[in-house]
Amino acid sequence: MTLQEKIKALLQEADLYKNQSLLNEAKDKFAEVLDLIKEKGSSIKNVDNVINAISKKVEALEKEIETMYKSATTPIVSEKAQNLIKQLFSFSNSGNSNEANLQAAIALAKFGQHERAIKEFKDLLKVDSMRLVAAKNVLRCLISHTSIDEAITQFREWQSNDLFNPQELEKVKVFLEGYFAKHGIEKDLFQSNAQQNEDQPSYLEDEGLDEEILDISSIAITLDNGPNKGEPVELDVSFQAGNIISLIISSQDKSLIDNLKVGVKLNNVHFYSPVAIFSGSGIVAEKSIIATGPKKGDYSLDIKVVNS
Amino acid sequence: MPVFNIAKREIEAKIVYYGPGRGGKTTNLEYAYKAFKKQVMGEMVAINTEGDRTLFFDFLPIGLGKIQGCDVKVQLYTVPGQVQYKSTRKLVLQGVDGLVFVADSMVVRREKNMIALKDLSDNLKEYGMSIFKIPLILQYNKRDLEGKVPIMSIEEMEHDLNRQLKVPSFPGSAVTGEGVGKTLQECLKLTLKSLQKELNWAGK
Repeated sequence: MTLQEKIKALLQEADLYKNQSLLNEAKDKFAEVLDLIKEKGSSIKNVDNVINAISKKVEALEKEIETMYKSATTPIVSEKAQNLIKQLFSFSNSGNSNEANLQAAIALAKFGQHERAIKEFKDLLKVDSMRLVAAKNVLRCLISHTSIDEAITQFREWQSNDLFNPQELEKVKVFLEGYFAKHGIEKDLFQSNAQQNEDQPSYLEDEGLDEEILDISSIAITLDNGPNKGEPVELDVSFQAGNIISLIISSQDKSLIDNLKVGVKLNNVHFYSPVAIFSGSGIVAEKSIIATGPKKGDYSLDIKVVNS
Repeated sequence: MPVFNIAKREIEAKIVYYGPGRGGKTTNLEYAYKAFKKQVMGEMVAINTEGDRTLFFDFLPIGLGKIQGCDVKVQLYTVPGQVQYKSTRKLVLQGVDGLVFVADSMVVRREKNMIALKDLSDNLKEYGMSIFKIPLILQYNKRDLEGKVPIMSIEEMEHDLNRQLKVPSFPGSAVTGEGVGKTLQECLKLTLKSLQKELNWAGK
């Protein structure tokens, strides 16, 4: 194969990668051609023009790659697509339509369709059994999608109407204040003319973080010792009560079960909620073997979420 | 997880096409949409980005008619292949009954195939499933590019991706349709066999 033939073949290969939208591969291939020409191509006719033309292709690809990564944010999809997301990803087996609607709204939030999700969550505020979880999810969406100030405005709006009873409102307040405390945000939830009811307990004075943290769907831990040392392990949360999360670990993950002894502190834990990821630490609070049911033999593990 | 309506004698299963970005998952579904018109039960929905990359998922519902007295419906999905969409892939994978892994035959995508397969295994594990136990088919796509760009031999791809799994595999070209039907049919066969074992619907 002559040098010209080799260059031609490499350029064809680069073009094919570009047509396949494999931009990095195309760029690398064009760069390879440039190196080859610079090294061995002094005899090529109009060599400077050839180098210039290929360099422009590399530059164009670099711009395209940059644009692609910049546009990696989640766009708003059509209403039809949002309805499909609702329909396909609600995963509610309870037969309860409110539960299914909640799951559908959570699915929309997970797919980044926050505005529609907020609308769906707000519809659920009218349902007594769903009000609290829907309210928390509205605030989460506002925090992640618009701004903390919007979440505060929403909370103040709820304060000034009678949709929530005092206990519910207090729980929502504790949730929001807990979020602020966790993220070092100093915000006053009350309008300057608002009166705080002194009889109401402030959960923030309680020990621990009960009700202050987001609902956690999964966690990633990296063990500091044992055979799994340094390996990140992702685990799904099966249940959460305040700052205690429960996980199920398969009996097959024997070394992981042995490592996670009661009292062990887990540093640098990533907590994943439907709308946010935060880091912190946790302490293994309880570990027990599941004695009955389909998960018999697996282990149930409680981890207490503590401040980092 | 299949939906089994005993009263109506209806089963709805979920098959997901998985694999590296730009590997041909959506093209597989597009070809199936055109080629299996009789079985298609609705529009194919594709949610793309500007660069024609799958953003969330593609969706194609098909009906297989009556099998052992049950009306069998299958939902076909693709996942976004780009690495940054890991959480979306995990979401789409939820409740999966069968899988098609679409591998890219081009040499430059060798590592991406292996990363995607590892990603699949990890995501399944998080749902308490094993890549070794779920119905899975491998498709070695883009065989039509042989002679135009360096592509891996079937033996190399088998060694990279299938030496431990030992699942059925097919060479294919989603753009020409070669191997697309075979891949889907084999996946349906394995999935239904697995569901029959799980649900024992013929005996109900």
